[in-house]
Formats: sequence, C-alpha cells, structure tokens
Amino acid sequence: MNLICNLFSSVFPSLGGDGSQREREQTIDSSMRFAVLGLIKGSVFWLLVASLLGLIVSIKLHSPSYLSEYGWLSYGKAYPAFWNALVYGWLFNAGLACVAWIIARLGGRPSGNSGLLAISGGAWNIAVIIGLFGIFKGDQNPYRMLEFPSYAAPFLFAAFIGIGIWILLAFKARAYRSSYASQWYALAGVFSFVWIFSIAQAMIFCMPAQGIFQSVVAAWFGGNLLGLVVAPFAFATIYYLIPKALGQHIVGYRQSGIAFWSWIFFSSAAGLASLVNGPFPAWVASVGVVASFGLFLPLSVFTMQFLSSLFASFSKIWDTLSVRYVFYAVFAFIVATALTILGSLRGIQEVTQFSQFNDGVRYLFLVGFAGMAFTGMVYYILPRLLNKELPNPSLADLQFWVQGLGIFLVTVSLVYGGWAHGALLNGSDADTIAILQNTKTYLFLTTIGSVLFAIGNFAYAVSFVWILLSPRTEKEQSADLIEPAPELEYTHS
Amino acid sequence: MNRGPFIFIGVLIIVSLSWAVTLVKPIQEAGNLAPIGKGESRVPTLLAGLALQGREVYQEQGCVNCHTQQTLATVGSDIARGWGDRQSMPLDYVDQSPVFTGYNRVGPDLANVGTRRTDADWHYLHFYNPQITSPGSNMPPYAFLFETRKIIGPASNRALDLPEGYRPEEGYEVVPTPEANALVAYMLGLSQAYDIEEAPTPEKLAYK
Repeated sequence: MNLICNLFSSVFPSLGGDGSQREREQTIDSSMRFAVLGLIKGSVFWLLVASLLGLIVSIKLHSPSYLSEYGWLSYGKAYPAFWNALVYGWLFNAGLACVAWIIARLGGRPSGNSGLLAISGGAWNIAVIIGLFGIFKGDQNPYRMLEFPSYAAPFLFAAFIGIGIWILLAFKARAYRSSYASQWYALAGVFSFVWIFSIAQAMIFCMPAQGIFQSVVAAWFGGNLLGLVVAPFAFATIYYLIPKALGQHIVGYRQSGIAFWSWIFFSSAAGLASLVNGPFPAWVASVGVVASFGLFLPLSVFTMQFLSSLFASFSKIWDTLSVRYVFYAVFAFIVATALTILGSLRGIQEVTQFSQFNDGVRYLFLVGFAGMAFTGMVYYILPRLLNKELPNPSLADLQFWVQGLGIFLVTVSLVYGGWAHGALLNGSDADTIAILQNTKTYLFLTTIGSVLFAIGNFAYAVSFVWILLSPRTEKEQSADLIEPAPELEYTHS
Repeated sequence: MNRGPFIFIGVLIIVSLSWAVTLVKPIQEAGNLAPIGKGESRVPTLLAGLALQGREVYQEQGCVNCHTQQTLATVGSDIARGWGDRQSMPLDYVDQSPVFTGYNRVGPDLANVGTRRTDADWHYLHFYNPQITSPGSNMPPYAFLFETRKIIGPASNRALDLPEGYRPEEGYEVVPTPEANALVAYMLGLSQAYDIEEAPTPEKLAYK
C-alpha cells in the first residue's frame, strides 16, 4: 500500500511566494478557461435540446397525432433521445465542467494540459451527437441509458477517458496535500463511470449475457449511472458551494467519510430493485431492495450536514444565486432519495411498478438535484472565469423560479399521476385506454411543467450568451471584481 | 482519504463486489439455460424468418419504451387481464438478444400478444392508426410504415380495408411496407403460451 501511495503521491511544493490568493486563482482560471467554457457551452446547448425533446415527448403522450408524420421523431425514439440528451448531453457536460474546475481550484495550482480537456470535451459532445443521431436513425438499444447505438460507445468511452485523465492529473498536481470531500466525489464519479460503462458494454454487447441477464446488467448500469456518477458530481458541487458561496463551513464535516463510503456501497446495487416480480432471479432484486434501503444511512448524514449548514446561514441563502440553487438541489435530493428508498419496497412496487412514478423520481433526482446543483455552480464559475458580473441578475432570478416551478410540476404530476396510473395498472383489470382517460390530467400537467422548464432554460441560455458576449465595463477591466472566497472547506466543526 | 489511490481502490473494490455478487454470480448460476425439446414441442418456440425481421423493426421504433414483454403472476393483474397464463421465466428469453423486457407500461404488455390478438388485419389497422381499432389510445400512428399510392390497374390485395374517415382519396390505396409486414408477423409470433413446469400460475400459487 505504501509503495502504491508513493508511486501516485503528488509533489508538495511550498506555497510561499506564490503571490496573493486571488492571483493564484486567476492563473488557475486562465489556464483552463477555454476548456471549461467549452464544456459549459455544450451543457447549455444540450439542455435546450433536451428541454425541447422533453416537451415533444410530454405532448405526444396525451396527443399521439402530434408530429406523428415524422417517423424519425416518433415517441419511441424521442423518449430515449430526451433522456440521453439530458444525461449524457446536459448533466455530463455541466457536471464535468464543475468537477474539473473544482478539482483545479481546490488543488491550488494550475495543472496545465488544458488542451487535453478541451479536445476530449469536444469529442464527448461529438459522441453524444453520434449517439442521438443513431437513436433517430433507428439503431437504439432497448436498455435504459444504454440506448446509444453500440458504435457510439467507443467514442463516448474514449472521450470520457480523456476528461478523466485530465481530472486525475489536476488532482495529482494539487498543492495542498489534504483532500476535501468534493475531490473524493469527483474522483469516485470518474472511476465509477469508466468501470460501469465497460462492464455494461462488455456484458450486453461484446459478450452478451444470456436473455434476461442483459436486462439485469442494464438495470445495474442504470442505477449506478445515477448513483455513482451523476450524484457524486452533484455532491462535489454542493460540498464546494456551501463553504465558498455561502461562507458557512459544512456542519458535521467529520461524518463525510461515512456518507461517502456508505453512499458508494449502497447505491452500487440499488438500481436492481426495479427488477422485482419480473422473470429475473428474485434474490437479485432483493439485493437491490436491501441496498436501496441502506441509502437511509448516507441520506441521513447528507440531510444533517447540508440542511444544518444551509439553515445556519439561512438569511443569506436568498441573496446568493448559486446557494439558492444548492438549496433547491438539496431538497430535491432528499425527496428523490426518500422516494427511491420507499419506492423500492415490494409493497409500494406492487402499486408503482411499470408506471410513470419511477420516471418522476428519476426526473427529480437528475434535474431537480443534479441539474440544479450544476446550474448553481455554473453561475458561480462564470463570473470568476470571465471576470465579469452577471449582466442581468433579474433574468437569472426569473430563471430560478421558472425552472424550479417547472421541475416541481413535472415531478408532482409524474409521481402522483404515476401512483394513480400504477394503482389502476397493477390493482385493477381496467384496460389501458380507460387508465389513460383517468390519468390524462396529470399528463397535461406534465406538459405545463415541461413548458415552464423550457422557458427557464431559455432564460438560462440568454443569460449565458449575454455574459459571454457583453464587453467588459470599465470597472470590470480596471479592477478585480471577485471577492476572495472564504477558505472554509478545511475547517472542521 | 487524502490520496487518490485510496479512493480509487475503495471504489474499485465496492463496485467490483457489487458486480461479482449481483451480475457474475447469477449469470453463472442461471445464465446458461438450454431450450427444452426439439421441433414443434421446443420450449421456448422459435420465431420464423419474417417475425425475426419484425423484431428489428420493434427495436428500431423503440416500442420497448411503452410496452413490456413480461407477464407477472405473483402480483398485479396481468393474468386477470388475459395478458398471459403464467409468470414469464428466464427460459422464455434464452433465444433473444437483445431482450425487450421493458420497464414502462404506457400500453399493454406484449409477451403474449400473438395469442390474444390473432387477426393480422387488426394489427395492420392498429399500426396505421390506433384510433381505428382502439379509440382513445395514446399510441402514435405508424402511418409511415405504410405507403399511400395511386391505384394502377387492379387494386392490391394487400391494401388496407380502412373504415370511413380514414380512407385516402378516391383512386388511392394504402399498402403496408415490408417493415409493417415484418412487425405484424412479429406481433403474431409473440407468445409464451407453452408450459414451463416451474413457472408460477395463479392455480399453483393458490395451493401455496
């Protein structure tokens, strides 16, 4: 162990004489400005694509003839395209941008190699384009979050390896020897994706497992993609933003290790809970149910840490845009994880299985939790990266409320409507058309929520382009606007 | 926790453990099933050529996003609805790759649609526009799997017999493309209507 640690361990330079804190930060920022901005640009683009697709999908669900003359845009193709654009397009771009920036900033030294990050970030976006094109062309795979055709997978994998290597190098180049929870989560997300993606590709497409076991592998991958990749990136941003943007150390930071390892441990099998009652080995689904239930442990630690920290400086939350997003994300995380845990129990699954309930929980987890956390982080990064103030804070305010309301509406209508849908689907012998008539209200509500979410995203895109293109004011040119952020992440309570 | 390798090894051990226990072990135990019997009495029954092509259309169109192919007998009301007679078993899927077990039921389960809907014409009309056969359904029309063409000479015997209101203008007919033919053949071939001794059925569960 010592040998391995020595092999990997970083050099520890003295920090004295490195210039002032802010100057050092600016060197880090300028070393990676192009690459990180590229990832953020990609994320905003895919967010717009995903919200458009999401709107189309939700309209098609109650008005099947909408756009039905376009064969490439039928519901069966638009639905997986929506989820994949959302996750691989928006959340991965945004999450990787946030994580790369956090790792470099917490490391305290510019790591260089930003060409690698820029190229692999571009390659990632090209891979997502290939994958979505494949879905529209008709090459999709019938597995959730693995719908991208097999020929897109090598590109996706290679691009991610490039970004992952950059993150590892940036971590290795850090000047501070100790590491912070954000860094653990960033590394865990990177390692996990490489691992679970190769397993899924190998066991489903290269050496296909027999019959239903392909579905088992897919359920395992789908759960882990949320739990071990997207969620850790979001935790990394929350652990970073609470001290930096709110100026409040994480209450109970000592418990972070427990939360980290128990989260990784239990969510590594939690996705299997969706297999209950089907033609799968029953004990595998039971492992998934038990693992989901185990998520109570990390959930309680996270709830304690995040809520106590936020409430400790409650009055400041509404003044700081980024922290407001974190506040939303934390609540969405608590609700979504609680619903995941409860929703995995067999008694509940007897009602909700195969209904839209599960889509609603997934939506809240991905968009309400991870998406909002990343958006808050992007609003923290942008002024620092560009040394400009947000040109129109009220537009960003509007965006927060409209997005927040949209996500809330979509989640409520999918979760509550999904419950009604599932109760009729699994608890009665009504035919599917009668069930549809009974739950149509919720489908319309989903569309309203999707419209609101799309409007919020449009405001986001406008804000983003605005701050990119606006010329620096004289004040911005002459002075450094950024107040030094507090170094609270290492102070324990 | 200050070093990258520690986190790397920890995550590697946990994910590998999960992989070994929940994927490798069950596949070793039960992932090597062989079909039972031969010819007519083979379990599971094999799909014929056109139906196999229809499988590909099913995958292309993403039907799996709204339809499952798994009948549950131990819970739910699949049996009461007539969606099957018994629980779907791993043996039912040994010939399939990929499998369409699915996870959403916007529409009905299709594991046994071939035994419940045996009329090919019903399927053609249903794919052309679901409102003809199932008014009020939210299934999208798959009219792009059909060709509306001018009748030259005698009308095609494959042309759809469309009801009033759905017909093309006078002198035109709607004929299915090869994809539609394949998809309908697949629908007619989708069936798990053979006995698997271990499969739970309501009768067996009643004696429990």
